[in-house]
Amino acid sequence: MDVLKAINISGSGLTAQRFRMDTIAQNIANADTTRTENGEPYRRRVPVFSSKNGGFLSHLKNSTESGGVRVTGVVEDQSAFKQVYDPNHPDADENGYVNYPNVDLTQEIINMMSASRSYEANVTALNTTKSMALKALEIGR
Amino acid sequence: MTARIFSGISNLEKALDTAWQRNKVIADNIANVDTPGYKAKMIPFEQDFDQALSSVKMKKTNPKHMDAQLDTLTARVITRNNTSMRYDGNSVDIDAEMVDMAKNNILYNALIEKVARELRRIKTAVMEGRG
Repeated sequence: MDVLKAINISGSGLTAQRFRMDTIAQNIANADTTRTENGEPYRRRVPVFSSKNGGFLSHLKNSTESGGVRVTGVVEDQSAFKQVYDPNHPDADENGYVNYPNVDLTQEIINMMSASRSYEANVTALNTTKSMALKALEIGR
Repeated sequence: MTARIFSGISNLEKALDTAWQRNKVIADNIANVDTPGYKAKMIPFEQDFDQALSSVKMKKTNPKHMDAQLDTLTARVITRNNTSMRYDGNSVDIDAEMVDMAKNNILYNALIEKVARELRRIKTAVMEGRG
């Protein structure tokens, strides 16, 4: 009965969902950023999750047990920028069009709700684990 | 003698271990609810238990003999590959996982209660009913 491992699994879920939330906040904050360090408009960022396996020992035992979730990286959304006609904008091209970031606010808000719900689910799982561990301490009282 | 006193508890211990394992598997499923391609896992302990009970029994010539299959029964984790209702290939059903977790929590608490009671009964016997 490894109390800490079960709690760590839920903890990794909390970390991953919070990271996803951070990425979404970054996307929303930069929804109108037309200029970044590399000269392009801001590109929407997406976190990539993968399940963590139980380490070397679990491979040795050929077990399917895994140990939570891991953020393997952040990739940039390669979809096209939004073009808006605004000749007076300092970032307008020769035809008067400005490239705006490929951030879709509706999509971001929906992702934010999803992240928030997943975070809550992980909190519930963690609380259940905690209450089970505490209940086990009552044996022999 | 002492081994027989605690034989009831050792069966409960196995059930407790399984319930804890299952809690871990459910926590893992919930943590990976947004991981593309992740397949939900489960512990089919009840089915295994029923199967072990209904399968062929060995002949017992002494009341101390135990059923071998029950004795060696361990929790195994299986992966649910067949159910995927999402476009990202993930097969975690968050509502089902929450229900399983609540059920498992109640089962675990009930088992703990049973172990505690068993221990209190032994204690009463040891204290000659005065404890």
